[in-house]
Amino acid sequence: MKEVVLQGLRQAYGNLVHMFAEFLPRMLVMLVIVGIGLLVAYALKMILRAVLHVTRLDRLSEEAGASRFLRMAALPSMTELLSRSLFWVTWLGFILIGISVLGVAGLQEQISRLFLLLPAIFVAILILFLGLVTANFTSRAALLAAVNAGYPSPKLLSWSIRFVIWALAVSMALEQVGVARQTVIAAFSIVFGAFMFGMALAFGLGGKDLAREFLERNLTEKKKEKFHEPQPL
Amino acid sequence: MAEESFLADEFLRQLMSVGEVDLLIGIPSYNNATTLGQTLQSVEESLRQNFVRERAVILNVDGGSADETRQIFVQSSDRRDVAHKGLTSLRTIHRISCEYDRSPSQGIALRNVVAAADLLRAKACAVVSPATANLTPSWVANLLRPVYREGLDFVAPLYVRSRFQGLLARDLLYPVSRAVFGQRIRELYSDEWGFSGRLASRCLEKDVWHEDAVRARPEAWMAITAAGAGLRCGQYFLGPKSAAPPGTGPDIVEAIRQTVGNFFWCMETNQAQWMTRSNSQPVATFGPDHELSLDGIPPSPEKIFDLFRSGVGELEPILASILTQDTHAQIKAIALSDRAKFRFAPELWVTTLYEFAASYHHAVLNRDHLVQALVPLYRGRLYSFLLENANTSAEAMEAQSEILCQEFERRKPYLVERWTAKS
Repeated sequence: MKEVVLQGLRQAYGNLVHMFAEFLPRMLVMLVIVGIGLLVAYALKMILRAVLHVTRLDRLSEEAGASRFLRMAALPSMTELLSRSLFWVTWLGFILIGISVLGVAGLQEQISRLFLLLPAIFVAILILFLGLVTANFTSRAALLAAVNAGYPSPKLLSWSIRFVIWALAVSMALEQVGVARQTVIAAFSIVFGAFMFGMALAFGLGGKDLAREFLERNLTEKKKEKFHEPQPL
Repeated sequence: MAEESFLADEFLRQLMSVGEVDLLIGIPSYNNATTLGQTLQSVEESLRQNFVRERAVILNVDGGSADETRQIFVQSSDRRDVAHKGLTSLRTIHRISCEYDRSPSQGIALRNVVAAADLLRAKACAVVSPATANLTPSWVANLLRPVYREGLDFVAPLYVRSRFQGLLARDLLYPVSRAVFGQRIRELYSDEWGFSGRLASRCLEKDVWHEDAVRARPEAWMAITAAGAGLRCGQYFLGPKSAAPPGTGPDIVEAIRQTVGNFFWCMETNQAQWMTRSNSQPVATFGPDHELSLDGIPPSPEKIFDLFRSGVGELEPILASILTQDTHAQIKAIALSDRAKFRFAPELWVTTLYEFAASYHHAVLNRDHLVQALVPLYRGRLYSFLLENANTSAEAMEAQSEILCQEFERRKPYLVERWTAKS
């Protein structure tokens, strides 16, 4: 009896030692990978920061109005945001590779799924950012053009353009990460369709006099009665 | 030869067949079939009458006209010696035509002209526009002569203006350019001007031809380049310039984008030239330095005021990001005032423009958008001007213009302060 217990303990001890002997090198490898990852991520961050400083991305972001949104959200400058994002994405990638080296069976599948999702998330963020910049730029251009040409309701026009571009960017980003793909497409189609239909109704029924005036001004002889300002040059 | 990289082979071949010249007249064109013949006639007559012994070339640079502009230029050279009588040039007047692009651009056209001037070692050059309805032979001679005979490097035109013509130039471009760059050139933005071969070579060396500001309106940049290089600038009184028919030519928005946008860009790229300069100096002027005629009907200003008032309201967030709080508040206050008593004071106008220039420098928003945001405010100033000067004499208007210029000069330290302030 005593012999059996001792043999069991010896076997358990042997297994434990064997496990540690197998696990410790993997742990060491993981730590090395994470450490190298930290250095690589830091180097990439510094390189990207320098490149973005040279390309004056912050000025571009300021001009496009994106920096204002970043400040409102208490976020750092565009250059800092992108370089920090690259740092974390890179290091996270290395950490996940390191964890996979440990060989923990349950984690393997989750990690590979997360790996597959990472580029999609990155692309989705990029789409949102580009959508934000495009919406700001285009809506402001439309506002200025409408105000300077003396068109009625320039803010409505500007906000409509902003809304359409935002809706498009958000639905594209959600589709990219695969969140309720069918629902997003259906929701976007409904919202966009309803918006356009509403605009058509509003212009056709609510503003039929305005529409008539607009068409007459642009398509008939009345065009010649356009207001002319004094010759500037 | 830097120009080899962008000049077409056929164009180069034509230039080489000409050899060296003394005078070069560039005619940028785009769909000018109806007026080009008259322009050519004036240029040739001018050369025959005034530069009998000089070697000359007339260069047409076309922006891809869809009409018969280029054919007219080429065909008219075939019958050029048949029509004229009297004094004849002792030299052949060469003609060259080239097409530079499929879209018109004053800057690209000028680049071809200065490259040709550099290659042909032209001593004096002039650019004239076929769109100018009343271009006379004397205009061409008066743009070339100060360069060729007096040694000037840039010659701007001076015109007789009707009281309500060229207000953007009189109320904005002339005062601000005079205060900033210190040269009293009245028509910095014009369709005709003269320049030396020396200035052409300097301009050709500059790596700015791809810039939108230069592509749209290169003439002011050329004058500023000349002044910056210590070359001599001047202006020549040409006479009355006929007003373009209403609805033709650039509208106020396009004119401001092209000229004010270009001027702010010139400020940005020539900071060292103007930051420490104070006061202004007159330039060599041939003939009277201004002349206003009393003809011209004052335009109805009501619509202009409506556009100003709605613009100030609709663009409030944009103006808030460009102007200081105090200036913005003053503009909002006058926008609410009674239209009959409305006044956009010169002091406020100067402050507004200087804050726009500084915001352009700090790129607080897209620069083209920033320049467009100035349009409603210019309309406010225009309305105020029309209201105040409906029955004013030409002398009184000129006196007011001079006061505005002096205000711009007096307030220049404010521009420098805003310009150098940390954004």
